[in-house]
Amino acid sequence: MSTDGRQVLVVEDDRDLVALMEMVLTDAGYRVATACDGVEALARVAEEMPGVILLDMRMPGMNGWEFAREFRERYGRKAPLVVVTAAENARRRAEEIGAEAWLEKPFDLEDVLAAVSSQLAKG
Amino acid sequence: MGLIAVIYAAIGALWILFSDRAVFYLVHDPQTQVIFNTAKGWVYVGVTALLLHLFIRRSTAGLRRLDEEIKATFESLFDGVLVLDADGAVVEANQAAVQLAGVAQKEELLQSASAFAQRFQLSRPDGTQVSLQDLLKVQVAPGKSGGRQVSLRRADGGLRWIDVASAPLAGGDVNAPKLSLVVMRDVSEQKRFEEMRDDFLSVAAHEFKTPLAVIKAYAQLLEKRGAGPAPILQVINRQVDRLTRMVQQLLQVSRLRLGDAGLRREPFDLEEMVQGVVGRMRRMVDRHRLVVELGPAVPVEADRERLEQVLVNLIDNAVRFSPEGGDIEAAVAQDGAEAVVSVRDHGVGIPSERQAHVFEPFYRAHAGTSRDYGGLAVGLDISREIVARHGGRIWFESAPGRGSTFFFALPLSQGARRVH
Repeated sequence: MSTDGRQVLVVEDDRDLVALMEMVLTDAGYRVATACDGVEALARVAEEMPGVILLDMRMPGMNGWEFAREFRERYGRKAPLVVVTAAENARRRAEEIGAEAWLEKPFDLEDVLAAVSSQLAKG
Repeated sequence: MGLIAVIYAAIGALWILFSDRAVFYLVHDPQTQVIFNTAKGWVYVGVTALLLHLFIRRSTAGLRRLDEEIKATFESLFDGVLVLDADGAVVEANQAAVQLAGVAQKEELLQSASAFAQRFQLSRPDGTQVSLQDLLKVQVAPGKSGGRQVSLRRADGGLRWIDVASAPLAGGDVNAPKLSLVVMRDVSEQKRFEEMRDDFLSVAAHEFKTPLAVIKAYAQLLEKRGAGPAPILQVINRQVDRLTRMVQQLLQVSRLRLGDAGLRREPFDLEEMVQGVVGRMRRMVDRHRLVVELGPAVPVEADRERLEQVLVNLIDNAVRFSPEGGDIEAAVAQDGAEAVVSVRDHGVGIPSERQAHVFEPFYRAHAGTSRDYGGLAVGLDISREIVARHGGRIWFESAPGRGSTFFFALPLSQGARRVH
């Protein structure tokens, strides 16, 4: 599977879900970085600009909204954001922060993989 | 009053007619007759003066009492009340209004309309300024509480949310009354409760759905890796989807029951929405074929997420009530100024004696039969509520044993209506 070596950053506070995403994306041949809140995510981004960011919205510490605002301010649209949320209005949340795509929890793994590959393809 | 005047006039007339004659018969000496007549005149004046005095005293006491009663009622109201003159200036205010505005005394409220609006920063929920005269346009309808919500900045800087209604007072015609009442109800607590409720519901959604997401994703991972028997993992997946839909319905019903009326309208193509929803739901069904009848674009201006919920509920029902599988057909059509969405199944149908109740919350048309397919039985109630809030309607046709078709109709968006 060709993934052109770019990294996928998973920002999610639920450890089980982070572990799962890591396995699924690694299985699919991606390099994966993880962060459990917005602050850690900014640190990961500073180390390496990912090809796509999967972003949970509700997290302790710096949440998804704050991270998105901060990220856009510092890096503009250098990486696409994919909102992954359990909120009822995932699509609107995504629009609010200007995210490129959204996934509603619970999601299908196929949708996660499709979102990642289509966002990477665009970049 | 009228009766008293008539009695007085009658007694006066009788007195005039008969008193002179009585004196004439009783007293024969003309000199004495003159004295008697003069005395009679004085007595008449004296008695009338006394009666007049008593009468006036009694009626002013009555008026004063009425005045006090009105005043006591006015002052004891829990709602703040302002009395405005024709120019919109505040000419009277009650104690509740004084407390609501947080001023020390009533006199601080008695200002012109613009000075009042400026001092207390009356504004609508979207932040735009509003004047007292604007508030007068909100007339009180009997049996209807609340007109419009505005915020008011108290003298101490605190923000209060008030529900405003107004009514013209007697005097002048209804459209330009000399005096008007503005009634202000403090709904800040209610507003705070609504915010807490929204927070709670969004936390609840998150807390319920995160573990469901984890279970579902792990089941799918095992299936993907071939690490477990696929049929079993698919059951887990399907049951998680079922639980997710129930959690969603519970959250929706709480929102609607707790009175969240806010629709977030946006223009979109209904056709495209139906295709999207059907596409997503296809993966959740195994024995059914979901078919969309394609047609031209149907533009509406509506709350897309809410309508997606309606369609999900209808398709979910269609799937559950056609246990043998088969086709489920979704279609969108334009009918005059309306957009009509329909979902048809070829399932068990609804017994005719139970058809009248299907939109009631918690009503199970198949309760007590072998065809009770579970679920929370709130989907149609929620759907009807959502459609009604869009100014639309929802209905169905059903033949027991042959299946049901559920329809909902919405007004087309303005632009589209002009074209057709």
